[in-house]
Amino acid sequence: MSASEAFMRWRYRLIPDHVVGEILSKNWIDNAIPIIFLGVAVAIFSTILPGVMTTGSLAILARVLGEYLFIAMGMTLVLKAGGIDLSVGSNFALCNFGALYLVNALGLPLIVVIPAVLFLGGLVGAVNGFLVGYLRLRAFLTTLVTLILVRAIVELLSLKYSVAASYSTTPVPQWDFLGAADILGVPFSLVVAGVVAVATHILMTRMRFGWHLSAVGGSRRSAFNIGLPVKRIVAQTYIFSGVFTAAGALFYASRLGSTSGTVGVGLEIIILTAAVLGGNSLGGGRGSVAKTVIGTMIVVLVSNALIRMGLRTGASELVLGSIMLGAVAIDVKWMKNRLKVLNKAYVSPTFLSLPPNPETREGSGSVYEVNNKLGDVGVIGKGELDGPEDVILDEDDNLYCGSRHGDVVRFFAPDYTRHEVYAHIGGHPLGMAFNSDQELVVCVGGMGLYKITRDREVVKLSDETNRSLLSVIDDSRMRIADDLDIAPDGRIFFSEATIRYNTSEWMLDAIEARGNGRLICYDPRDGSSRTVLSNLKFPNGICMTDDGESFLFAQTWDCSITRYWYDGPKKGRREKIIPDLPGYPDNINRASDGHFWCGLVGMRSPTFDLALRMPQYRKRMVYRVAADEWMYPNMNFGCLIKFDIDGNILEVLWDREGAKHPSLTSIREHKGKLYLGGLFNDRIGVYDIPGADPTWTGIKHYWGGKKDG
Amino acid sequence: MGNIISRYFDRLRGSGEAAITLPPMDGALRPNNRIEEAALVASVEAPDNLVSHEGRVLFSSGAGLCALGPDGQVEDLAAASSPISFLASHASGALAMGLEEGRIDIKGGAHNGKSFTALGQTQIMAPSAAVFADADTLLICLASQRNVLANWKHDLMTFGTSGSVWSLDLGSGEARCLAKGLAFPSGIALGAGDALFVSESWRHRVLRLTPDGTVAPVLDELPGYPSRLVRGPGDEIWMCVFAPRTQLIEFVLREKEYRERMIAEIEPEYWIAPSLHYPSSYLEPMQGGGLKQLGELKPWAPSRSIGLVVWLDAEAQPVESLHSRADGRRHGVTSCLADEAGLLIASKGGNAILRAEQ
Repeated sequence: MSASEAFMRWRYRLIPDHVVGEILSKNWIDNAIPIIFLGVAVAIFSTILPGVMTTGSLAILARVLGEYLFIAMGMTLVLKAGGIDLSVGSNFALCNFGALYLVNALGLPLIVVIPAVLFLGGLVGAVNGFLVGYLRLRAFLTTLVTLILVRAIVELLSLKYSVAASYSTTPVPQWDFLGAADILGVPFSLVVAGVVAVATHILMTRMRFGWHLSAVGGSRRSAFNIGLPVKRIVAQTYIFSGVFTAAGALFYASRLGSTSGTVGVGLEIIILTAAVLGGNSLGGGRGSVAKTVIGTMIVVLVSNALIRMGLRTGASELVLGSIMLGAVAIDVKWMKNRLKVLNKAYVSPTFLSLPPNPETREGSGSVYEVNNKLGDVGVIGKGELDGPEDVILDEDDNLYCGSRHGDVVRFFAPDYTRHEVYAHIGGHPLGMAFNSDQELVVCVGGMGLYKITRDREVVKLSDETNRSLLSVIDDSRMRIADDLDIAPDGRIFFSEATIRYNTSEWMLDAIEARGNGRLICYDPRDGSSRTVLSNLKFPNGICMTDDGESFLFAQTWDCSITRYWYDGPKKGRREKIIPDLPGYPDNINRASDGHFWCGLVGMRSPTFDLALRMPQYRKRMVYRVAADEWMYPNMNFGCLIKFDIDGNILEVLWDREGAKHPSLTSIREHKGKLYLGGLFNDRIGVYDIPGADPTWTGIKHYWGGKKDG
Repeated sequence: MGNIISRYFDRLRGSGEAAITLPPMDGALRPNNRIEEAALVASVEAPDNLVSHEGRVLFSSGAGLCALGPDGQVEDLAAASSPISFLASHASGALAMGLEEGRIDIKGGAHNGKSFTALGQTQIMAPSAAVFADADTLLICLASQRNVLANWKHDLMTFGTSGSVWSLDLGSGEARCLAKGLAFPSGIALGAGDALFVSESWRHRVLRLTPDGTVAPVLDELPGYPSRLVRGPGDEIWMCVFAPRTQLIEFVLREKEYRERMIAEIEPEYWIAPSLHYPSSYLEPMQGGGLKQLGELKPWAPSRSIGLVVWLDAEAQPVESLHSRADGRRHGVTSCLADEAGLLIASKGGNAILRAEQ
């Protein structure tokens, strides 16, 4: 190996490139940018403005935050349904004035004032809601008009009543409490805002109304088509916005008691900035309370810092406006490109140097020499099957195989012309074995480990295992349970080919060639599942040896077969018995002469072997070339091998043209015949093994003796 | 400076020169199955160079010169010392024969028995096509001065541009170079008037050469590699496209390190490179869309080989085309012959001579 290859090997061993794609695929990644922004803002301002992080300063910030949070949450609801509410600023001013007038001029008690002000805000919201929701006017223009109208009303009112509203003849302690009190050091307004935030979060994520909002915002037409009352839902969001604005105004009024004409001017920009900066989409459908909280914190912090830095009023709005512009631009670009980036960044090839490809050419004298023994085999179920990855036969010679439709299909002995759906599982059955009770245990792609009882009842055995400590993606769920075998004590060992791809995308794992797979042990005695071995390169076939303490497993992309001791004195040891196959091994099963059969699902090609040693090349290929044009292991050809426990190749069976049985994934010997399955095939092949024991069956061999004894 | 930067960004983004987008097979090139469904005339090993000579149809099969009877019987006429790379016939009875070893032989006619191994000072290395301008003048394509014809994949993968077009006076032996610096010229035909058309395989285009020495592309950005050009009974030209371009091959052509290691370590038969035949070995590369599902290869699968003949009008613009698609076997069409009865097609990769309905 050259120096650059050695470097490449270490570079890919040490740097986990695949984590980038895994992080990008997380839902919380939407919130990552605002949080980073917040962190940076805090860091910068606390460095250049020494006083900003003091308790006193924070106390004021916290009160402002509490008030803004109410309004921003209302805005979030409106945005989520695809609307916008610009009237929050003047509505805020109106409610502020209303609250002060009711308390100071009329001297009404809080129990009347609070509902009245909330009602007032809700009323403005209802006007918006009626116009935008029911009359279907444009949200932007409509709320812009309400912004102006309500502002005009506030000015008319303040001309007439501002003096009366400004001063109270008798002090109202409860009223001052609203704006000035702390609970455990936290301003009362922030505490209430926190409670409301939790409630709104539950409303948006756990309740019907919230889901309706997502539906309307995501696609208004689809929401209408499935029968949602779109108009009413949209109208309701504006009422929510109005009421929340009123709540914010109540605290503000109590805190400052100001009837000045500048109250609430430009507030809509601040609130919109907060909402969008947090990651709520202006286009609707995407938004959460958490995003809003982050965004509001940023905005409050930044605007406060700008004031402290002594910027003029206009200048600080300029800065806020620029931040909002940036946030909107990022929002649009992120939404548009996120999935595109994710799709490409997720595939993360790594370095793999396979041993030299053994010679296979006819006349080469190699053990793998090409022949055409499978060129003319019998066929079962041609054209009626779709993807019989594994086949198995019971004691009465009936044949079982999986299908891509999620069925286990049974062909009846002796001629296998009639068939029925034995059981419908729902996922693609990939590996099968009979347990000691003659129940069919099945690995189901996308679902996990299942068994079918003799009464044809489908029973889930396992679909999750322990989550590994450092995995970014959730690897506790099983994605591709692939093949299994059962130890004499009943423990089921099965392989999960990859934790990074679903059944339909399993071929992508070949381009990565990383050890993404693992072996899992299911213990029927306590129903637990534990990962036994991980970081395997697409572990596939599993087959118990006869010693009762070890099994063989194939690693497809590694072109190798390994023996693993799960019990006994050598427990935990691994030994690669065949390190250099000329193709990609799939299922392994027992042969009547005490040896093992293994199907090679595809053959190694020199160009792909070379590409495996050049991960950067494969990475660029994934970016540049359309997915259908990517190079893969050649799975249009395949062969069968028979090998002994020491890894000596005893026999090789080829289908030279690859016409009848491309991509052989499994083989099952039964009474002198060999049954062949293939993941992409529409048939099962039958091959007469010359000289094989015509009475030997897998079940009798494995369970027979033990049951009698 | 700006060039370097823009090239760097092109490489980074896969745009500009680094783009691997291909022209679609659409319009006149829309796929059909006309070659796949054409009647089989004869099954011959690697047939090539169909030519009408003194009322008979001649063709080559490796080093053998053969005649095709009216009912498809094949008669061996002669065996050359190396594979025959082109045949050209003239009404005067002259037959020009290019050999892969780098020789041009003339049989029959006024210059019977003459043989050329050099054109002026230039050694003949890869004689790929020729056509008689008149009884004394032969117009010749030399595909490359760096690689022999058998190494055509090397020439593609190393961006060979050492091809040239010559006019050879058979009487005096004087040769005149009409164009050089071409990327594997492998087809030549006289069009209507004084037009001379030459196909340039690696640049996927057809050039028009005029007597005053100008060379101009008339048909550009083909989705495959053009080879032989054949004048039909009228003014039309038949263009054989011996293999399709694919995104993966275009990508490999832009991947210097991978390409160099592939050339150094792997046999050309198994390269990611255009091919004349349907995949015959599991050692050949496979692409995702080319995976057999339920035992079937899909016709739209990405493929390194197809069969394609394009009918060009007098201005060398495509009018109609005949195809054998990815799932077919009649790939690698390198030569054809149009007559009143229809079109004879030699599928070199499919080992068949076919007759397509007109």
